[in-house]
Amino acid sequence: MLPQFQLDELRAAVSSAGLISAESQLQTYECDGLTNFRVLPGAVVLPRTTEEVQAVVRVCARHKIPFVSRGAGTGLSGGALPAAGGVVISLARMNRILQVDIPNRFVIVEPGVVNAYVTQRVAPAGYFYAPDPSSQSVCTIGGNVAENSGGAHCLKYGFTVTHTLALEVVLPNGELAHFGSPALDAPGYDLAGVFVGSEGTLGVATKVTLRIVRRPEVVQTLLAAFDTPSAAGQTVSDIIAAGMLPSALEIMDTLAIEAAEAAVHAHYPMCGGLLLVELDGPCDEVDALMREVRDIAGSNGAREIRVAQSDAERALIWKGRKAAFAAMGRISPNYIVQDGVIPRTALPRVLTEIDRMSSAVHLRAANVFHAGDGNLHPLVLYDRAIPGQEEIALELSYRILNLCVDSGGSITGEHGVGKEKQQALGYMFQEPDLATMQLVRCAFDPENLSNPDKVFPRPRLCADKPGPFTPHPLEKSGVAEIF
Amino acid sequence: MPATFTREEALVRFAAIAGDEHAQLAGDAVRVAPANTEQAAEVLRFANQHGLTVVPTGSGSKLGWGNPVAPEIFLSLARMNFVREHAWQDLTCTVQAGCTWAAMQAELARHSQMVALDPLWPDLATVGGVVATNDSGALRLRYGGLRDLIIGMTLVLADGTIAKTGGKVVKNVAGYDLHKLLTGSFGTLGVIAEVNFRLHPIEQHARTLTFAAPSAPSLAQPLRNLLHAQMALSSAQLRIAEKQCALDVRIVTRPECLEQHAAHLRSIFSPLADADASEAVWQSRQQLFSSPNAVIARVSLLPDDVCAAAAEWQQTCAAQGVEVSLVAQATGLMTIALSGPSGAIIGIIDQFRTRLRPSGGSVVLLQIPDDLRGKIDVWDCRSDALPLMREIKRRFDPHAILNPGRFVGGI
Repeated sequence: MLPQFQLDELRAAVSSAGLISAESQLQTYECDGLTNFRVLPGAVVLPRTTEEVQAVVRVCARHKIPFVSRGAGTGLSGGALPAAGGVVISLARMNRILQVDIPNRFVIVEPGVVNAYVTQRVAPAGYFYAPDPSSQSVCTIGGNVAENSGGAHCLKYGFTVTHTLALEVVLPNGELAHFGSPALDAPGYDLAGVFVGSEGTLGVATKVTLRIVRRPEVVQTLLAAFDTPSAAGQTVSDIIAAGMLPSALEIMDTLAIEAAEAAVHAHYPMCGGLLLVELDGPCDEVDALMREVRDIAGSNGAREIRVAQSDAERALIWKGRKAAFAAMGRISPNYIVQDGVIPRTALPRVLTEIDRMSSAVHLRAANVFHAGDGNLHPLVLYDRAIPGQEEIALELSYRILNLCVDSGGSITGEHGVGKEKQQALGYMFQEPDLATMQLVRCAFDPENLSNPDKVFPRPRLCADKPGPFTPHPLEKSGVAEIF
Repeated sequence: MPATFTREEALVRFAAIAGDEHAQLAGDAVRVAPANTEQAAEVLRFANQHGLTVVPTGSGSKLGWGNPVAPEIFLSLARMNFVREHAWQDLTCTVQAGCTWAAMQAELARHSQMVALDPLWPDLATVGGVVATNDSGALRLRYGGLRDLIIGMTLVLADGTIAKTGGKVVKNVAGYDLHKLLTGSFGTLGVIAEVNFRLHPIEQHARTLTFAAPSAPSLAQPLRNLLHAQMALSSAQLRIAEKQCALDVRIVTRPECLEQHAAHLRSIFSPLADADASEAVWQSRQQLFSSPNAVIARVSLLPDDVCAAAAEWQQTCAAQGVEVSLVAQATGLMTIALSGPSGAIIGIIDQFRTRLRPSGGSVVLLQIPDDLRGKIDVWDCRSDALPLMREIKRRFDPHAILNPGRFVGGI
């Protein structure tokens, strides 16, 4: 709980309707989509304007109160987890689309705008906003910017950073700064490029300029059923090797198909490895490519090939895929979802190894993945009611991440490091790499107030005199320790 | 910090690091060419300890860009010129910074792949220099810029720290994307030692068509229609030289679809006549640099403003006796060459900077004759983020040894 005078200052910053400090209400904000980490914040503020965000951040800066910004709270890595007794800045009320510029193909939105609303707004003009995380019907652009969200279609269209042209940011000292521009290559460092994906550790985005993309003439979605995920994976490699860039390439294994069927009845064929291929573009081109994809799938032993015949059929296929995580609840009391990335070619070997590792500890792991870019989402299934099983499941999920790093990949493709994977980041990067990233952090946030103790494996202090490995004066004098 | 070493002493030290034949006196500076990242780190550590200023360089093709720097050390990456890894099945590669763009592409072409970017002077320009200056060409319309193509980097900080960022997979959100910070940083934050790229298949079936027009404004609506059309577009550029005006369009698709797309294209530009142009038209941006006394600028504007702005440059320049040629990509990035009286050119540039300011556009001077140096800011940065940029620079390079003063705001 924050002292009364600090609450008063926060109230003054956002008006009384914008402050939550009653414990029962604060509990709503104690976690994000990663529910096994929970921390009660000291206060929640709901600013309506950039000026109010600045006022809040200035109060935090003055009193050294840690803060975390939050959109819809759908993140899967604990990125919006509050600091104990800290302030949560909910951007939910900053949800206006401020400008739509179709001829120049950009929109300017506030951070609380829901991802799918951007597409809804520009769809009548024939455009869409490309990044489509599975939570797109509720997640907000501010959170997408923080996490550099991807989605099934980023294989062709890229990530949030690909589509972020400019940002208005409240820096951790409360100052306002503008990064980038709707006109490309604004002179200076590409701060928008660094800010996107910084997981709330560099400040609070209050306006986002997003690129919008022309809606393709046609979209075709194909399902191919294989006996094994490896056969589906080989098909993916062959499609890429043929020089094609589909808009999505997704694979689900038997467990994932079962779960999705139980949850949304997507009418998937039951098989060992289900491949979903989506192609979009000009009609004639897509028709030609689709024929080629069918041939490749057939030559890799596809038992059944289906092409969605209507928008409704395609929507159902995607509904099953996007519901796959939540659907695990149908086949297992609890589950952990991971987000490792591997080079595509490592797929068969890594899948076999995940199988072996999970069998060895008597757990099941379902696999749903963005196969085109090697982004695995292994879902470790377990039962919290069985003593000790949660720990085994967690341990297994982290070992899978290490396996991804050992295979030349990454610990996270789109969920972010957050609270969940701090230690894993230390496995992926060496100390000098992390210290260099910390230089950026210290330039933005020398007091370490903006979403502190996230992303990086150990808390660090910013030295006044810059440069890696310089002990902070507080540390030298014994007031603080770096552990 | 004053230099505490003479250049002769530095020479001896660098010869010990990189070998006698790779450390030489070059004018007032020492030129050292390390064989690898570790040697580059040693050179930088030494320079940092002794407050010696450093300009990292590849072939030197763009050393004139930005504010002039007279360093004590030229750190040449020329020996670090290998494609270290081409994981063709994963469509990624790792390339050393000193490799020329063309040499890299030749290596990647063995598997019909490429880094989908067409920078200036590919035979000369090195990967490190292209990245440090964030150069890009006509392919940007389809594939994005370096920000979208670089997936990882190895860099050496001023104090000799070797750091890696990103990785070798395309989709990766672990840690800060330092490679985005280094891209376009003009060698002021660190020395780029290696770059990991995502790759694309080489465009096998492409066709370029050129539509000549009486004036740039008459191309505005067709260009708008083109970008809105369902078309397998690779590049589109507006070209103006000696009052001739044309729009080049490159389409890339399946061989069986090319004819149909070309027909669609002609219908969009009807009644303008087209000619099947050669691929050479995509060299036009580079050709602008061939007049050594011209002022060459990179103009950034909103995409829909390209034709109108081009016409305004033409009119303004004509009124003031300044010759103008320009090549503008449909992305809104325009390269412009101005020749004429210095005073008039300065006035025109100021005028356009003011005009572009509200939309976030800018005019950055890449090449200027010596008599204009100091009379006009080559950068056009009015960002309220400048204090933050300076703080980033201070954190990365506290003694300001890397390219001091070269970048925006005196960074």
